[in-house]
Amino acid sequence: MKKTMLLGLLVLLLTPGLFSRELTGEDIIQKVNDLFNFDSSYSKSKMTIVTTSGQKRTFISESWSKNKGEKNLVRYLEPRRVKGQAVLMLNNADDIWMYFPRTQRVRKLASHAKKQKMQGSDFSYEDMGSGDAFIKDFSSKKLEDEKMEGHDCYKLELSRNPDGDVSYSRLIMWVIKENFVPVVIDYYDEDDPTLWQKRMVESDIRIIDGIPTAMRIVMINKNDNSQTEMELLEVKYNIPLDDRMFTERELKK
Amino acid sequence: MREKILQKLAHWHAYHPGRMLLVVLLLTIIFSFFAGQLKLTMRWSDLLPSGDKRTTQFNKIIDEFTSATSLVVVVQGEEGRIKEFAEDLAPRILTAIDTSKNDSIQKDIDKIRKKINQLKTKENDESKILKLQSEIKTLQAQMNKKLYQRVDYKAEVDFLKNHGLILFKGENLKNTKDVFMDPNITGLLFNINNSMEKEYVGQEESISTREKEDGAVVFLDSIQNLILKLQKVTRGENLSEEEVQAVADKLLFGEPYFLSYDKKALILTAAPNFTMLDTELIVIGTDVVQEITDDLLKNYPDVTAGLTGMIAIGRDEMVYSMQSLGYTTVIAMIAILILLMISFRMWVAPIFAVSNLLVGLIWAVGTAAIVVGELNIMTQMMSVILLGLGIDFSIHIISGFTERRAAGDSIAEAMEKTFLKSGKGILTGALTTACAFLTLVISHSRGMKEVGLVTGTGLLAILLATMLFLPSMLVFRERRIDKKRERKKGLKQIVQRDISFRFLGQTGDWLSKHYIFTILASIIISSLLIWSGSKISFDHNYMNIEPAGLTSITLQDTVQEKFDLSMDYALVLADNVKQSRELSKKYRESGPVAVTEDISFYLPSQEQQQRRIPLIREIREKIQSTAIKQAVLSGDFPVLSRELDRLQMNIMEMQDLAFLGGQDKVDNKCKELVGTPENPNSRNIISEMLQLLDEDISTAAKGLSKFQQNFAQYFKKSVITMSSTESIRQDELPISILDRYSNKKRDQFLITVFPAGNIWQDAEFLNRFADDLERVSDKATGMPVVFRALIEIIGRDGRNAALLTLVIVFLLLLLDYRNPGHALIAMIPLALGVFWMVGLMHLAGMQLTIMNVMGLPMIIGIGIDYGVHILHRWRHEGRGKIRMVYSSTGKAILLTSLTTMLAFGSLVFSIWRGFGQLGGALFLGVGACFLTTIIILPGIIGMIERKNSKKN
Repeated sequence: MKKTMLLGLLVLLLTPGLFSRELTGEDIIQKVNDLFNFDSSYSKSKMTIVTTSGQKRTFISESWSKNKGEKNLVRYLEPRRVKGQAVLMLNNADDIWMYFPRTQRVRKLASHAKKQKMQGSDFSYEDMGSGDAFIKDFSSKKLEDEKMEGHDCYKLELSRNPDGDVSYSRLIMWVIKENFVPVVIDYYDEDDPTLWQKRMVESDIRIIDGIPTAMRIVMINKNDNSQTEMELLEVKYNIPLDDRMFTERELKK
Repeated sequence: MREKILQKLAHWHAYHPGRMLLVVLLLTIIFSFFAGQLKLTMRWSDLLPSGDKRTTQFNKIIDEFTSATSLVVVVQGEEGRIKEFAEDLAPRILTAIDTSKNDSIQKDIDKIRKKINQLKTKENDESKILKLQSEIKTLQAQMNKKLYQRVDYKAEVDFLKNHGLILFKGENLKNTKDVFMDPNITGLLFNINNSMEKEYVGQEESISTREKEDGAVVFLDSIQNLILKLQKVTRGENLSEEEVQAVADKLLFGEPYFLSYDKKALILTAAPNFTMLDTELIVIGTDVVQEITDDLLKNYPDVTAGLTGMIAIGRDEMVYSMQSLGYTTVIAMIAILILLMISFRMWVAPIFAVSNLLVGLIWAVGTAAIVVGELNIMTQMMSVILLGLGIDFSIHIISGFTERRAAGDSIAEAMEKTFLKSGKGILTGALTTACAFLTLVISHSRGMKEVGLVTGTGLLAILLATMLFLPSMLVFRERRIDKKRERKKGLKQIVQRDISFRFLGQTGDWLSKHYIFTILASIIISSLLIWSGSKISFDHNYMNIEPAGLTSITLQDTVQEKFDLSMDYALVLADNVKQSRELSKKYRESGPVAVTEDISFYLPSQEQQQRRIPLIREIREKIQSTAIKQAVLSGDFPVLSRELDRLQMNIMEMQDLAFLGGQDKVDNKCKELVGTPENPNSRNIISEMLQLLDEDISTAAKGLSKFQQNFAQYFKKSVITMSSTESIRQDELPISILDRYSNKKRDQFLITVFPAGNIWQDAEFLNRFADDLERVSDKATGMPVVFRALIEIIGRDGRNAALLTLVIVFLLLLLDYRNPGHALIAMIPLALGVFWMVGLMHLAGMQLTIMNVMGLPMIIGIGIDYGVHILHRWRHEGRGKIRMVYSSTGKAILLTSLTTMLAFGSLVFSIWRGFGQLGGALFLGVGACFLTTIIILPGIIGMIERKNSKKN
């Protein structure tokens, strides 16, 4: 009996096509999107940028996000010069406010700031924001599977939809089959889909609160010949967060 | 056939040395004439394949755009003093004239005048006289020709004053329009604050690109200037009308001088009346300006100034490389002479050898003039390479002849035997090496192709000189000795001395007897060196090839550091203004590009101009309707203080954003205005101003009112003038702008593209920059594109030439030995020697460069000789004669390799680091080939002898 059950199980495992169809590009990107769309989160991270005179500068910040990344709040802790500065991103970074403790004023950044560099890093606000951009703004196509960064991956090509509001014409994404973490994403120029601009590499993937999380993200900017490293020092998911946290008034606190 | 020719030559030398010397003299005169015609080019673009589009474009640009190849004077000191210095220097540079041709032109004029006088007295042919007189005028125009047409050290403020607003880019004009709308101090500050909140805080993008970051610094600088001047008047100090107007000008047009970010360096750019193709004027033009600058510096002891730019660098590279090649050649010759004197234990013959070499070099240079016409960066060191190789022929002739004479042969007998014994070897060796060099002509790059041609034909020229010149000198010397001996009745007896190197024979013998050990040790050493060689990297940094310690070169770093501007920019030609505008825009959008310069800044498209007109009209109407306040009353102080306070906050926020964004220039500029957040005691000029307003209200009100009267009127008038909505046409642009960006025919337009970083520190960035340049336009040229192409082409050429050389050398050896096994054995030390060379280079901390990579195919041609000589002798002497072979032939190859190493090694002393790199690589290469011949070959020969003896 046991033998028969085992055999049956083996047949099921070896013939996935009998009961499940092969994942399409849309299926995979949906799973990637689901992975990012946790209800709320908290993280403490360290980011190192290179200044225009070539010096390295490291920032430590705390951030909170809610509504599947639609609302984001970042507060800087270090170095001392930026302590207390805060950035509030609402509507998937369409609206960005900045708080300066030195003058105790809040300023709103222009709406197109989303597509620009975030604090001298090689990430843009858009890269950091979550939401459904991968699904809403792009159409995905599955390419031949590949091994990337030591993982067996699905390889996807995401092409911007005609009405897509993103600053990349195309993305190539390698998604780890095991956990649907996009381990590498290549970003292509807004106007020229053949011009490779940036590469994001995720590593040190750990399961935190049941969610596979890359603790280290490196963004390599081919255009500027620079790279920015972001390291997560602490992460929590699905924590209770008050909506009032994400308001202009609370930004000053 | 070969023997007959050699016998004939020996006969002529022995019996007609005088005639032979006469032939040599005649040939030397002919070759000297050609050598005098040889030109020199220091352009890297001339190393690319002929007809390469990058070279064609580069030559076209330097021919048609004198501004593309300018002379740059970098002045350093305190702001005020360097501005004064620039004002003094610029008119002096414009007076610089070329007097070098005056004498010859004057002679021509005198001749024509003489002709005219003759005509007047004889024929009185009016038309002929008039023609000659016009010739005189043409010649006179060529005398005292002005060397420079323009000196740029300030922006075109006059043009900006009339068309300033229409030149503002749409988005910038929208954001900054408020600044122009109120000429009164409080209104102005209010508007500046509004603008800053919109521009810099509202759009972080505004300071995220290089151009906008620079714009922010310029804007902050003008605010700093305004506040400092306001402080002065608030304290009751007087400002002249010009000083007040300068404050308004700076706000409206920015800093007029080309100053560095720290304001301690200033650049003057002199556009010449000659091109980079005129090598003579490059030297004269630089030397004259250097003299003028040095002279002026005597009045400015607190200022320093130096020359750089393409012209000064071209001049320095030419002059110093010739100088350094001169002294490296002398060093090599002296070292070789000493070595020969020691090893031959005589002094006359080595002097003959060196004299022969000098004659050979003249012939080689003459041949180069015929074959290539001009020497390039790579071929100009041919003299040292040929010196190292050419001396070998003399060594063999002298050795053979003196040996035979010591053995008691007559002059004629000794000469014939020398030619038959050594002459054959010399011919085979020289032809093998020359053929190996000539294989480089298969290269695509002109640089490597010409290296092959020049060294290959040069070596043959020295071979010919050695065959025709040296033996006759030796004959004369021997005749003199014979006569002396006859006079003294044979007083001195000829003593046969063993001058072979026995230690080499013993070593070779031991290694061949212990062939298993020798082969195993060779395999281990070779493996280690091959592993080491595999680790060698390629140095893409062009700066590491450049001459060291030259002011013109080091000032490039100063410009990079102080102005954050690389002098290794790219150049692109556009066929019209529209194309220039489009290409420039595409380049600006490219990540690796910092800024571009082209005519489109001064000539926006008609559509762009039309789009800006409504905004300009709005500004014009607003400022026209704004009344000028005649005074700043104490009652205005609260508003003034509020705006100053707001300004302070805006700058602080801008500073915080800049710190977060890593924009150091903006952060540093903000520090000069509001201090540093980490240091509460740091100077904050706005805070100081606020305090001053509280201190002596009546003095402050009086001073500010006076400032207000002068400032507001001038500001209003200036804004009205610069808000002209008349469209700008190309023919209305000032000549200085047109000349800078277009050619004389005005049908070609130049775009200069500056990289965003140092292209030499990172090969990937260089590739990205060059890729982007060529992706946008296939007409892109300049150092980044040329050098990248050179690395690719020369790397490929080097590999192909090395492989082909190996094949050709093998075929030549096969032809010589008629035994493929022996041909292969002779090549083993060479093949391993090349690997050892690369391994040793890595161990010595060297990297492969565009210059020393050329050494790899060259060493194949040079290093083969050692194995060939040993194998020849071994085959000739027969089995069991290893000791003798290495004592005698080993000595010859030791001497020849030492002389070659000395010559190549002398290049290390060259001011050109690239020459030193090639010299160092060849030094190690020759040494490695010698060692492999001395160590590995005895083992292989020992093994073969052992195998053969077992068979027998």
